[in-house]
Amino acid sequence: MSTQLSIAHDPAARHALWQRMRVPAFAFVALMLFLAAIVGLGALAPSRTASFIEIGLVACMILTVLLFSMEVRLETPLMRFFALIGFAWVGILFGMVLLDYLSR
Amino acid sequence: MSDVTFPVGIDVHEQFANADQQRHAAQLGMWIWLVTELLLFAGLFMVALVLHIMHPGSVRAAVLHFKFWIGAANTAVLICSSFTMSGAIMLSRMGWQRWMVRCMLATAALGSLFLLLKGYEYYLDYAEHMMPFVGQPYALEGDPASRLFTNLYFVTTALHGAHLTTGVAILLWMAWQAHRPGFLQARQNRIEVYGLYWHFIDLIWIIVFPLLYVVGR
Repeated sequence: MSTQLSIAHDPAARHALWQRMRVPAFAFVALMLFLAAIVGLGALAPSRTASFIEIGLVACMILTVLLFSMEVRLETPLMRFFALIGFAWVGILFGMVLLDYLSR
Repeated sequence: MSDVTFPVGIDVHEQFANADQQRHAAQLGMWIWLVTELLLFAGLFMVALVLHIMHPGSVRAAVLHFKFWIGAANTAVLICSSFTMSGAIMLSRMGWQRWMVRCMLATAALGSLFLLLKGYEYYLDYAEHMMPFVGQPYALEGDPASRLFTNLYFVTTALHGAHLTTGVAILLWMAWQAHRPGFLQARQNRIEVYGLYWHFIDLIWIIVFPLLYVVGR
């Protein structure tokens, strides 16, 4: 275990760790930027148009978490299917209900 | 294996042909459960959207009472916790058990910070008479649609908080297990499967925050 503590000071080990952490770091920065945009729009320019942009930004955040944090892009086809099917059911639920309310 | 990684693996149970099959079965099981969780929250999101469409004025009145900046800070806290959880997963794959445990504890600490901020937010809501279900006069009395949205806000955030509390408890239990030598040689898969759950909690809040605090302001 002491070897494990000292390995973090080894440049080769730190490089290997950075290689693996690049994608999570990218996802972290992207999520923070999306959040900053949503907060900025909500605080400075709240409007109906801004709401649609905010919903688009949320969709980007969901995709970032799914693809990069939850690593769906690296999963087997069966796993990707299950990840997709959940959102497909939600899409049907939202689509059918909103079809009613938005067409009144 | 390079010299900067340590051995990791899982104990294969008798019903599985090999470690890969067991790993895939565990992750598929977690995904199926997460899909059911998504559908649970989707019903609440659906109600919020319908209230936004049908009663925009009432929803705006309620949204302006909610604590926007605490919600934003909590979103940032959960995004940070997702990053530390990803760190724990990557370190578990490299076999760096001590550092992985530290990342798990950091994740649990961030989750606890979220809950503390949420508790403080609830206290402020109570002080401002924005808890219509506790018997005190409601701040937006005479606006039943805003009362519906406020109640929905509490149901959704409390349900998310219950998931996060469970998540922190499981994470601390796993960190306690993982501080023992040999954990990653036998149970590395647990970190991967649990990581999916934590990222999912983050994903749900990423939807909750704009839907309840931002859209319709």
